[in-house]
Amino acid sequence: MAKDTARLIAMRDRLEASIMKALEESYLNGHPTNRLPGNLNISFAYVEGESLLMGMKDIALSSGSACTSATLEPSYVLRALGVGTELAHSSIRFGLGRFNTDDEIDYTIKKVIEVVTKLREMSPLYEMAKEGVDLKSVQWAAH
Amino acid sequence: MAYSDKVVDHFNNPRNMGSFKKDEEGVGTGMVGAPECGDVMKLQIKVQNDTIVDAKFKTFGCGSAIASSSLATEWLKGKTIEEAQKIKNTDIVQELNLPPVKIHCSVLAEDAIKAALADYQKKADGALVDAK
Repeated sequence: MAKDTARLIAMRDRLEASIMKALEESYLNGHPTNRLPGNLNISFAYVEGESLLMGMKDIALSSGSACTSATLEPSYVLRALGVGTELAHSSIRFGLGRFNTDDEIDYTIKKVIEVVTKLREMSPLYEMAKEGVDLKSVQWAAH
Repeated sequence: MAYSDKVVDHFNNPRNMGSFKKDEEGVGTGMVGAPECGDVMKLQIKVQNDTIVDAKFKTFGCGSAIASSSLATEWLKGKTIEEAQKIKNTDIVQELNLPPVKIHCSVLAEDAIKAALADYQKKADGALVDAK
């Protein structure tokens, strides 16, 4: 059990560090160390969670946003942790277990970087941010 | 969530993804949605002699939102302004087989088309006034 825990934490920390080092404006949700060994939750600014999942179909992940629910509300857990609505829409939860391998972690790191980069290229918000537009100052038409 | 093959295809191979310069002549830009709601679409048209000769999009949103705007750019190309006004969200729903929870994506795409057309019209009218 203790051995499993140590192994999970090492894999989870490697996943976290590699992704966050490669992708600017990615934010860890929750406490850095006081969390379940196999749990990782990251928000990627300017990309929407469900599209991230769709780009990584072969990896079992969940999106912080409950886009398919009737209310379209993002995760209330993230909201309770103080995550803003925009970033709560852009979050992914990674769940690791004892049967995961280092190869799978490598694959996931590569895939996450690839898909986030692709979707940011497609995102009008990323484009605006790069142009120096303060997204908070924009008058959005809420719908 | 099961996506139709067409949604998956547009998501994996988005058509006309990109941007025109907003101040370019004949370009109309429509930006709709809000980051807080989880989807923002930017749709642009390039018009020559009342005909849409090119269209581009960028979308922050789920796969269905990306597919709806990608499809919209395909449909807009070659249409006159008048024909483009007639594109309905229900046409998009039908073409992409969108489930009820994703109908708002098609509504947003129709809004984006209308906003781009209105922006083009406003710029065209302004240019007329300047010419006088």
